[in-house]
Amino acid sequence: MKRYWMSLTIALAATLFMLYQNGSFAQQSQEGKPAAATEAAPAVQGQAETPQQKGVPAGEAKPEAKEAQVPLAFQVDRTALNNGGIVTITGTAPPGTPVYIEVWADQHVRASRFDSEVDKETGKRPYVLYMTYDMPAFYKILTPVEQKENLEKIKKEGSKWSYSQALKDLGADAAYSVPGKIKIERYQATLMGSIVGSRGELLPAMDEKENKRRSMQLVKARFRNPDKVFAPVVESQPDGTFVAKLNIGSGSAPGTYNIRVVAGKTPVGQVAGVENNISFPNLYFSNAGTSINLFGPFFLTLAIAIFGVLMGAGGGFILNPLLVSIWPLPHTVVAGTVMPTVMFSQASGIVNYSKIKFISWKLGVTIGLAMVLGGFIGPKLTEMITLAQYKFVFGWILVILACLMLWQTTQGYLAKHKKEQAILKEFKKRAEEAALAKASRAA
Amino acid sequence: MVVEFWGQEFKVNVLLGCVGGFLIAVISSMFGFGGGPFMVPLMTVGLRLPMFVVVGSSLLAIFFNTVMGTMRHYQFGNFDLVFFLVMFPAAILGGYIAPQIARRVSPLVVKRIAAAGLLILAMNLFGLY
Repeated sequence: MKRYWMSLTIALAATLFMLYQNGSFAQQSQEGKPAAATEAAPAVQGQAETPQQKGVPAGEAKPEAKEAQVPLAFQVDRTALNNGGIVTITGTAPPGTPVYIEVWADQHVRASRFDSEVDKETGKRPYVLYMTYDMPAFYKILTPVEQKENLEKIKKEGSKWSYSQALKDLGADAAYSVPGKIKIERYQATLMGSIVGSRGELLPAMDEKENKRRSMQLVKARFRNPDKVFAPVVESQPDGTFVAKLNIGSGSAPGTYNIRVVAGKTPVGQVAGVENNISFPNLYFSNAGTSINLFGPFFLTLAIAIFGVLMGAGGGFILNPLLVSIWPLPHTVVAGTVMPTVMFSQASGIVNYSKIKFISWKLGVTIGLAMVLGGFIGPKLTEMITLAQYKFVFGWILVILACLMLWQTTQGYLAKHKKEQAILKEFKKRAEEAALAKASRAA
Repeated sequence: MVVEFWGQEFKVNVLLGCVGGFLIAVISSMFGFGGGPFMVPLMTVGLRLPMFVVVGSSLLAIFFNTVMGTMRHYQFGNFDLVFFLVMFPAAILGGYIAPQIARRVSPLVVKRIAAAGLLILAMNLFGLY
């Protein structure tokens, strides 16, 4: 029992340290604030300026278009949601123009993409890492229902689909605005740099057009699935009125969701806000960009930790693939968070063994030093692979592990194991007695 | 290298141990698991050490990797505090409950079930079903 208290204390100390380092306290109090302040009106007014400022290319055509046609307007039927829900957007647009609706969350997440594909012009591999901390945690373009077939076609392309091509095919170019302006950092990675584990050299910022192009690739890297970023739900009537049902799924980020309508190529200078509230037991994992009922991961971890001990392997093997499969968690966050969890149980094991002097420090440290090097490089590689690659390689690791497990149930192994266990017990007993004797002598 | 452990001496192939350990460390920190089940066979089969030497020392070796991997993941912003606080108590609780159950089940059966489960999970990851 004592060791659990000990590891718990270590964990708490480390957590406090990390909180202190992270400035998480400040972040959390900010998250709490906007909930009250989002009466629809101020939100709409405050943000109404932005689309006009950024709508420079479309802005020139806008005055004429506006004069000639019915003024655009839209309403949303609710301003607050509780862990997701359906928002109905109604409005009028010039008859016959397709209506697109852009929806994005104020909450930001991180997105990264490692570009190692051969450049068609130069024939070289660029090895550039694109990264942003400003990707909206939720981003979706609602397209007219008529685009359903086109969307199905895109989905058939599987994981090879291209977001920029999809925007063109669905006619949604003009609706794409918010992620195009996020701040993207790019790093020139080198082979040596990757081995040392650095992200590489920070390259100068990109121009607006390039930034927009790269942001589309990041949108795909972050949301992966066409269904996550497109929904063919805008139903237009011949008289120009339109209705769209926006589905914000449970597990989406909390905070304000902004809605903007684009008719044809013309954006409406109005942004509506919907507040999504998350309440206990749902928790928002800010790094993963998703909110999850906390009991899900809790009981999964509990079950797998128990099973892991029974089968004599750490739980991480089963836990990681299940976490990335069941919930929309990025593999980098899963790997980066399960590792510290494992660390504390390892630490308590080492403390227990060292008390009875059952560790060969010479052997452990020698191999440990080689493993430190590996541990330095590994996390860097996590960042460079996609979720699909992560799953594929993990699949093979599990196959190997399953073979190891089966090998441990063969007759030959069992006979040897029995002998080994007897020796192990004998030595452990001796070690425990020696430790006890020493303790009583000291007392 | 010669390792002395409880009055017995063992010859250890350091090169094999270090290269194998390095590779296991890269994979395990990349995918975020401990690496014990790979380390133990490496040391028993590869380095021909008896189990009683391996149990403690392998744990120490992979601990080096886990600490380093944790720091690096944290540095790259892959650590999610809320997520950690949900999983950590569960892992501790699991470690406390498991030994109570362990006495009542046969390790052989557990391992066979585990192998089958792992294969099913692997098929899922390959997208075969």
